[in-house]
Amino acid sequence: MFNLLAQEAASNVDAGKAIALALGIGLGSLGAGIGIGNIFGSMIQAVARQPELRGELTGIQWLGFALTEAVVFYGLIGGLLAYVLV
Amino acid sequence: MLRRLLTLALGLLLLLPSVALAAEESEEFNPEHDFEVGEWIPIHLGPLDLSINKAVAYLILGTIVTIALGLALMRIKVGSKNDPARRQAVGEMVYEIAQTQVAEQGLPTKAIGRWFPYVATLMLFIWVLNMISFIPLPLSNEKFELFGLELPTLALYAATSSISVTLALAFMTFVFTHIEGVRHNGPIKYVKSWIPDVPKAMYPLIVPLEVLGQFMRLVSLSIRLYANMLAGHMLILTFIGLIFVLGNLFIAPLVIGAATLFYLFEVVIVVSIQAFIFAALSAIYIGSAIEPEH
Repeated sequence: MFNLLAQEAASNVDAGKAIALALGIGLGSLGAGIGIGNIFGSMIQAVARQPELRGELTGIQWLGFALTEAVVFYGLIGGLLAYVLV
Repeated sequence: MLRRLLTLALGLLLLLPSVALAAEESEEFNPEHDFEVGEWIPIHLGPLDLSINKAVAYLILGTIVTIALGLALMRIKVGSKNDPARRQAVGEMVYEIAQTQVAEQGLPTKAIGRWFPYVATLMLFIWVLNMISFIPLPLSNEKFELFGLELPTLALYAATSSISVTLALAFMTFVFTHIEGVRHNGPIKYVKSWIPDVPKAMYPLIVPLEVLGQFMRLVSLSIRLYANMLAGHMLILTFIGLIFVLGNLFIAPLVIGAATLFYLFEVVIVVSIQAFIFAALSAIYIGSAIEPEH
């Protein structure tokens, strides 16, 4: 009986870990998806209005892209920490 | 283009034996195992562990390649002076990106002479480290036998997917930032410049946050590069590993296609962007410490 309970608890913990990892990545990607869409959308608008600024804007665009994209990985690292440590 | 794709497919095929061996050994497929560094030449100085492991081997290789690349692109002259070769043009392009996009965006004019070499080196070094991590190299912990010889399997591994490496790089920027800030502004004025213009009553709330923010830069700078490379490698590995997890060979064309797609995405975009970001943010941090009201 106790054995069964222990098994069930262990599998519950595993399921919890999987949910933590998935939530970490999923919610992180949600935010980053919106953010990256925003950045490229604004870039398209900006270049459409003032095409001569494209060169200057490209650097800023990629900076913003990488800063936003990193958010996914904070979620991933949080999820992995939960997965490995708990 | 076709030839390039064929080379890529060949590279991914070469990766397969290492995955297969790993799966046979442990029955269970575990992508984390590929990120263990192991210990090749143990060097222990008291509590310090200075062993040569996989990450250190990749760092040494990356250093050599960076120096060779720099010499080949910038120093070795080919042909006459009026005939700039293609190699030199590539070198000048790299130099121009480092100057206009990285150094001049972040550093004030008076500091460019001193800090341009640092940020340009960071950019080139991280780019090379990221790039050689996508070339299958015989530097891995697993061995296979070929005609009675024990050879290491070809494997993909990024030195930058070990957090110690990226933390060390970020720590250099952190130290240089504060040294430059103190040197140019004096310690008291520099620490005061962290705190924005707010009413005095807000100080108990703002000051700890701003001090914490200085350390969060260190964390975010290192985690960004580390997690990007780790996630990239893990995605490729997991997709190929699906064949062995599901034990189904018919899924191979699908997952190898997906793995190739991610491989291309990493090589074409992520590698360069991450190197650029690390250097650009280092320049911005150092620049903002030298001229706080910038």
